[in-house]
Amino acid sequence: MTATDHTHAASPHDPHGGDHGHAAGDFGPHHVTPASTFLNVLIALLCLTVITVAASRVDFGAANLLIAMLIASIKASLVIAIFMHVKWDTAINKIVFLSSFLFLSLLFVFTLSDQATRAWDSWPSKVKAPVDKEWEHPSKVGSHQ
Amino acid sequence: MSHDHGFVVPAPGDGFLPHTVAHHFDTPTQEFQAAKLGFWLFLATEILLFGGLFAAYFFFHQEYPQTFHVGGAQLNWVLGGVNTTVLLLSSFTMAMGVRSAQTSQKRKMQFYCWLTILGGAIFMAIKCYEWHVKYTHGLGPPVIAGMHVEQWFKDTHNVMADVPHGHLFFALYYTMTGLHGLHVVVGLGLILWIIRDGGKGRFHANYFLPVDLVGLYWHLVDLIWIFLFPLFYLVS
Repeated sequence: MTATDHTHAASPHDPHGGDHGHAAGDFGPHHVTPASTFLNVLIALLCLTVITVAASRVDFGAANLLIAMLIASIKASLVIAIFMHVKWDTAINKIVFLSSFLFLSLLFVFTLSDQATRAWDSWPSKVKAPVDKEWEHPSKVGSHQ
Repeated sequence: MSHDHGFVVPAPGDGFLPHTVAHHFDTPTQEFQAAKLGFWLFLATEILLFGGLFAAYFFFHQEYPQTFHVGGAQLNWVLGGVNTTVLLLSSFTMAMGVRSAQTSQKRKMQFYCWLTILGGAIFMAIKCYEWHVKYTHGLGPPVIAGMHVEQWFKDTHNVMADVPHGHLFFALYYTMTGLHGLHVVVGLGLILWIIRDGGKGRFHANYFLPVDLVGLYWHLVDLIWIFLFPLFYLVS
């Protein structure tokens, strides 16, 4: 087997790669990714890491965090699709794993929309939840007692 | 087609062991898919576990951007960048290790797994050095019991004195990189197990499920670090 051919290692009888019958010699649908694909993904990931660092040196204001997360998402997609073989996995496995990101986005959307629509620090102090003691930096503790 | 005594998957050649399918599975494919589905469910819970921490990060970052700006400047982005590169390389070697198992190349699989362990070990060494440096600067909780609560974050050099709730950044930093580091250590143990059992010839083209699953776990560790790196090291 060479490094460049797409093969289904354990299922020489089935050229389709989908769900298999259970003939003798067939031990599951297995996709063997060419080594060159992995190498290309690695190079892309390293390039994107350099871009992430470079982009953080430029001041885009509040957009910096967004840009960093966008590049990280591209990197994550490459790792999930190729390194984790999700591209060639079954539909149910794709749904199970990728749905976790859907549920996570619900958490992010509601948390951040709550945060964005409340003026936390401008609240009158009597409305704020009572706390026994506000946290203070150690260098300032006791300086005004 | 049922196999009351367990379907036996033959070894592909000398130096490899046959695999007996657990008796409650009809076929090797069914066993493989059931295990994969279970593992993807586990990985989904891992995403949600770290996701809660990421939500906390974004909430406090939006609330106190200046704190994260100053906090991020305390971390060494070069060390973080080296660790990112090392972890990406180890993810590549792990993918190659799984591939070697799929193609019944025993020695090659062990070689790639050792490279992955080397990457994980370098990562942890750098991470421990970073934690140590920050801790000795008072940017962390004391391990000695009985200290005053307000001293859990000493900030010896007063680097966070001018921003609100400076301890928040480091609380998130230690929790998230700590939980991630724990996953790296667990992953290293799993890869050692793969190398040992792989040496006995358990994993080959007809049966490589454990190698595949350990590989997925290692890639998840890489996946989380891809987000941690810009959020902590590049946020200044």
